[in-house]
Amino acid sequence: MKAIEVDSLTKVYSNGTKAVDDISFSVEEGEIFGMLGPNGAGKTTTIKMITTLAKPTTGSIQVFGVDAVRNSEEVRKMFGLVPQAISVDGDLTGYENLLIFAKLFYVDRAERRARILDALEYFGLGDRADDLVKNYSGGMMRRLEIAQALVNRPKILFLDEPSIGLDPHSKNQVVQQVQELNREFGTTILVTTHDMHEADTLCNRLAIMNRGTIAVSGPPAELKRSVGGDVLTLKVTGEVVTDLPPGLGTIVESEPGVIKVLTDDGERAIPRITSHFQRKGAVVESISLSRPTLDDVFMKYTKSSIQKEEGTFSQTRSERRNIARHAR
Amino acid sequence: MNPISRFATSALTIAEMEARKIRHDSTELWMRGVQPALWLLIFGEVFNSVRSLAPPGGYTYIQYIAPGVLAQSVLFVAIFYGITIVWERDVGLLTKLLSTPSPRLSVVVGKALAAGVRGIFQGVMIFALALIIGVNLRFDPLDVLGVFVVVVLFAMCFSAFSMTLASFLKTRDRMMGIGQAITIPLFFASNAIYPVSLMPAWLQYISKFNPLSYVVDALRSMLLTGDYSSLPTDIAALVAATAFFIGCGSIVLKRLIE
Repeated sequence: MKAIEVDSLTKVYSNGTKAVDDISFSVEEGEIFGMLGPNGAGKTTTIKMITTLAKPTTGSIQVFGVDAVRNSEEVRKMFGLVPQAISVDGDLTGYENLLIFAKLFYVDRAERRARILDALEYFGLGDRADDLVKNYSGGMMRRLEIAQALVNRPKILFLDEPSIGLDPHSKNQVVQQVQELNREFGTTILVTTHDMHEADTLCNRLAIMNRGTIAVSGPPAELKRSVGGDVLTLKVTGEVVTDLPPGLGTIVESEPGVIKVLTDDGERAIPRITSHFQRKGAVVESISLSRPTLDDVFMKYTKSSIQKEEGTFSQTRSERRNIARHAR
Repeated sequence: MNPISRFATSALTIAEMEARKIRHDSTELWMRGVQPALWLLIFGEVFNSVRSLAPPGGYTYIQYIAPGVLAQSVLFVAIFYGITIVWERDVGLLTKLLSTPSPRLSVVVGKALAAGVRGIFQGVMIFALALIIGVNLRFDPLDVLGVFVVVVLFAMCFSAFSMTLASFLKTRDRMMGIGQAITIPLFFASNAIYPVSLMPAWLQYISKFNPLSYVVDALRSMLLTGDYSSLPTDIAALVAATAFFIGCGSIVLKRLIE
């Protein structure tokens, strides 16, 4: 059984905005699934619909086989949600915040206290349990929110932009703890982010969203391979070289003294390209290698929808330039 | 757990959340005691000497307005309760509350009960004030209990009304505006600070439809006169209005998070 199965889901708000436009995807049990996209791509709306907080205009959502529209209360028992905004009350202590939600999730009275203390301990908040949350730091607050979403031992955890507004250290801490949670307890996690790096390190699979649609989805490594590999930037003097032997890659940019080569495997290509240039009488002064990032994947697939309609040579070229630029 | 005890657990938990917040910081409650004190001490004292305002039954004017002042102070707490909801929406807490398996109706009932908790403190404050400045009220235990029941119902009624409004207005500023616009007419078109018989005919007619009049009437019968003849009507009207607004609130509350 899939943890989440979304089929041709669309959300049109009452003011006519189409926030989500016919998306379909599924999340396997036990994986960390990411939705990556800029603000306004429809990620939060999608999460809201899966968590039964907004009704889909059309389409269906199944959470562990339960229909999220028709059987919303049943679905709400299965997940924990960490919304983008703050979900803990600053005027209560950390312990109280968890207590309230444990009760609202009908956690057995006998288990309640132990579970809350466990969750607080797990997120390193044990010694601050009785402090008012308004005195917590941003990172602690976020960790408390995740702890709060876990008091009902959910099968799925939804994290909407978990690292937004956090400093790099807290960000890392949150990412690590989410990974640990997934490893230790096999919790399925759906996370939205607009942070390419975070999506790359955290997620097993990704859906890249733009303007309400999923542009492409797959494991991060696969997605990166699909944008066409590594970019080598060469500083060259001497003879001008305009060709490469077959199978080594293609020259995507050639300016006096600087050449950019797009290749599948940059590390292996370096010695061969160097010797090729030497044979042609050019001197390679330096080579830098940059690998594609999810940024490039995003550039490629969100642009490609435009390209499908037009598909001109100049657009193709500018797209490749863009890939090169962002690979730097 | 059966559905009823689940419902009760959820509603009471949300009210408990409020009570815990008050325990951590009760400044607001004390501040809310200032206004009723001024009404009793200054307004009551001055108007005590206006002959034509002499209330029926030979009571002093301060005695007469004490129930009205209590009702008014609870009204203030309740009518602005929607602002709390809008604030909770703004920070994100409401989303979180509505993502739990607790039914929406129980969230609204819980929030209304939370306003009731605040109402109880207003009641305690008025009783304390009455004791301090020597206003002679009936302190019969059953009456006192009845007063608190009416106060809680009343706070629930108007906080549910306020939450319903908030679901449409959606901002704190608008809620402040509408709260002001509602409370003063309700207060002056009621029997809170003068007998209905002193009003012009058209206002007397309006006051018949003013829920505040029923509340004040109920409170006054228990605090002052001991004449319970109209109490069943008062409470029935209040319960009906409370149920109606709680129903409305639970239907429209989700508008806030969409």
